[in-house]
Amino acid sequence: MASKKRDGMRGAVDLSVDIGGMRLKNPVMTASGTFGYGIEFADYMDLKGLGAVVVKGLSLKPRAGNPPPRIVETPCGMLNSIGLQNIGVEAFVRDKLPLLRGLRVSVIANIFGEDVDEYSEVARILDGVRGISGVEINISCPNVKKGGIAFGTDPSEARRVVSAVRKATTLPIITKLSPNVGDIGTMVRAVEDGGTDAISLINTITAMAIDIERKTSKLSQPTGGLSGPAIKPIAVRMVWEAYRTARVPVIGIGGIMTADDAIEFMIAGAAAIQVGTANFVNPRTAMDVVEGIERYMKRHGIRKVGELTGSLKV
Amino acid sequence: MARIVHNYPVAPGCYRMGLSPGVDRVEPGQFVMIRIPGGLDPLLRRPFSVYNVLRGRGGGIEIVYKVVGRGTGMMASLGVGDEVDVLGPLGRGFPMPGKKERVVMVAGGVGVASLHLLAKRIGYGTLLFGGRNRRDARLAGDFRDLMEVKIVTEDGSMGRKGFVTEFVEEEIGEEGTVVYACGPSAMLEKVSCIAMDRGVRCYVSLEGMMACGMGVCLGCAVKADGAYRMVCSDGPVFRCDEIDWQGMDG
Repeated sequence: MASKKRDGMRGAVDLSVDIGGMRLKNPVMTASGTFGYGIEFADYMDLKGLGAVVVKGLSLKPRAGNPPPRIVETPCGMLNSIGLQNIGVEAFVRDKLPLLRGLRVSVIANIFGEDVDEYSEVARILDGVRGISGVEINISCPNVKKGGIAFGTDPSEARRVVSAVRKATTLPIITKLSPNVGDIGTMVRAVEDGGTDAISLINTITAMAIDIERKTSKLSQPTGGLSGPAIKPIAVRMVWEAYRTARVPVIGIGGIMTADDAIEFMIAGAAAIQVGTANFVNPRTAMDVVEGIERYMKRHGIRKVGELTGSLKV
Repeated sequence: MARIVHNYPVAPGCYRMGLSPGVDRVEPGQFVMIRIPGGLDPLLRRPFSVYNVLRGRGGGIEIVYKVVGRGTGMMASLGVGDEVDVLGPLGRGFPMPGKKERVVMVAGGVGVASLHLLAKRIGYGTLLFGGRNRRDARLAGDFRDLMEVKIVTEDGSMGRKGFVTEFVEEEIGEEGTVVYACGPSAMLEKVSCIAMDRGVRCYVSLEGMMACGMGVCLGCAVKADGAYRMVCSDGPVFRCDEIDWQGMDG
């Protein structure tokens, strides 16, 4: 039976997905903070082959970010404490978005704020801007004192942020969840109540690495966010848990290096996935993942990629 | 993928690796990101200055690297015919000197590797090399055909005894000199101070912890002109007076 399937299907397979009202040509996106503003990768691949590009988190005003050292490598992963350095939403729309539009890829703007008003103001500025397909609300960055994770660990705060953004924009909303919570199901229900159209998880896991000679953190801040293949099994588990609760589509993130990793997330319940840290290791990873998913579908006789979502046998 | 054509020790803890094919259009001071394929640990690429460009069949590049951790330790154990993944060339390199400018290069240890391609391109001037001992000084060997080489060793086993920074002042002389420097950041800070005092143009090549090498991870931040700039994409070469040396990490 396996050998029959290896010869695969004739004709095209359908990789397209609908994520909370966004029609994407395939389920592969790039994770915010790992793909710049997208343009930087245009030399390495044809960006329009991707499902979507999620750009670096945008705030109302530019942010300088944290002092160095900002990253440190750990076994099968890395810690970062960038501190959400970004050029600000207005500079993004003015300077970067026109270039991205020319590359004909779906663009999702990751947004964050220090308070609810800032979140909704950033969302309002992006509403109706040509070339933006949706917003991803970052309520889960562990590296800034205000905003970020403060909203990501408290269900009622999370609901408040999402409903404020909901009022500010007609764009589809993805809410990016933190793994640093006790019960992910509670957070899922909270952001659904707030009006999110999809959820993405996991953001980085709060973690530490210490220089034992100096007895200091290896980062300028005491803690950072762990990413990379080290976190993948945790991420798969949390996607599976979220999928069982969620009414909206789930986007899987966490240590995806290959198409096999992406497929694992989809079987666990992800309707789409994001490639993150792997973009640093090999700038072509996301495109390789698209091609690998397509080969897998042909090999297994899967006509629509959505058939994979939540196909875990229990 | 590039194939290793040679990989041998040149000084204590330092190796010279040749890779083929090469990368396109390397400017002096640019770097490549290298990763040993296959495993997930180490995960990230490591940055290395391009030491040399090899001509001939398929072309190639050379790097000179020091074993400082697991990644470079694994590289040292690779043999001819093994493959590594090379991304680059990356970053902005050294500007060339003006027509009548004197050229002084200042290098600390394996930092000399980022100056070699520049020395080949310029073909004259003085290299002030600082190392721990005479065996470290082998790192400056290739420069002898290109320019005047002055060695400083910490133990006095070769050349003058002391730190290279003690001899920079007399070497720089007066206006009309351009200084190129690479080495530990404490050394670069001192060289920069001297150059700024003398009103001499000075370019430094910096290092930083980076994941991507192409300006997107924002890991290798350095404070320059009051803002964070990226070693990988804004540098690694900076004009010394751009850098906020107070804000540098150790």
